[in-house]
Amino acid sequence: MSIRDEQQLRYQVTLVELVDRVLNKGVVVAGDITLSVADGGLVYVGLRVLLSSVATLEEQRERALAAVGAQS
Amino acid sequence: MIHLYALVRGLDELPPLTGVEGAPLERRQIAGLDLVVSRTGQELTEVTNEAVMAHASVVEELTTRSRAILPVRFGRAFASEAELTAAVGTKAPALEHGLTRVRGCVEFGLRVLGHEPPRQGSATLSGAEYMRARLDEEAERHRLSEELHRPLALLSRAEARFGGASGDLLHAAYLVPEERTVAFRDRIAGLERLHPELTMVCTGPWPPYSFAETREDA
Repeated sequence: MSIRDEQQLRYQVTLVELVDRVLNKGVVVAGDITLSVADGGLVYVGLRVLLSSVATLEEQRERALAAVGAQS
Repeated sequence: MIHLYALVRGLDELPPLTGVEGAPLERRQIAGLDLVVSRTGQELTEVTNEAVMAHASVVEELTTRSRAILPVRFGRAFASEAELTAAVGTKAPALEHGLTRVRGCVEFGLRVLGHEPPRQGSATLSGAEYMRARLDEEAERHRLSEELHRPLALLSRAEARFGGASGDLLHAAYLVPEERTVAFRDRIAGLERLHPELTMVCTGPWPPYSFAETREDA
């Protein structure tokens, strides 16, 4: 993985971690969460895009590692 | 509607920023607890990036200005002052307990991205050999995640591990006393040097979102 991919990956993971914390962690003071965040909210659309980018980067990384392994 | 950001202790002044929908921040005292809120026009019907970022920014600014903070999960607005007062009053002891637990700590997140050891000639293995190989792989993943997690947990006041659905080798959060954050980061750097084959992403310091939930029996 290049330095640029690495930075990109770190940035994306940080965004995913942030959104996950705000929407899924934190104290619930009363009752149910009334917002339905699962069906198509902008944030989750953005989150899915981010996650798929992370997965793509990870695949690239593994292919690169496999290529290095094949050479040695 | 009233949007609640966090419960705080030892906050001198509100940070100079606005909240969700650009509304000014306000403070409330309920059952001896110090709350930060803002008013919103109507109930939010959609989660927007702007609203989530506004909430996150307010919580982050409050964290640097408070001795202790319990971040509130985004998504629950209160219809009236009465509803807010009743809700906080009911949960006050658990919330006090939660504030005490996170006092003086920050949260770090860690994701160690999935690591698949290369599979060799699985086509030539018998069913039993294949199963054994898969079991060995699982045992190795488990051993490795424990090896990474344990030294970090030792530096933490509390830790939370999240489900493996993501395929990550390790996905966890650590509640770390402020005086140990340097040691914690050093330990992460040490683990990275030990395992150059892994991609470890440490994030934070975060407000203690992952340690804010209070149990009813707390």
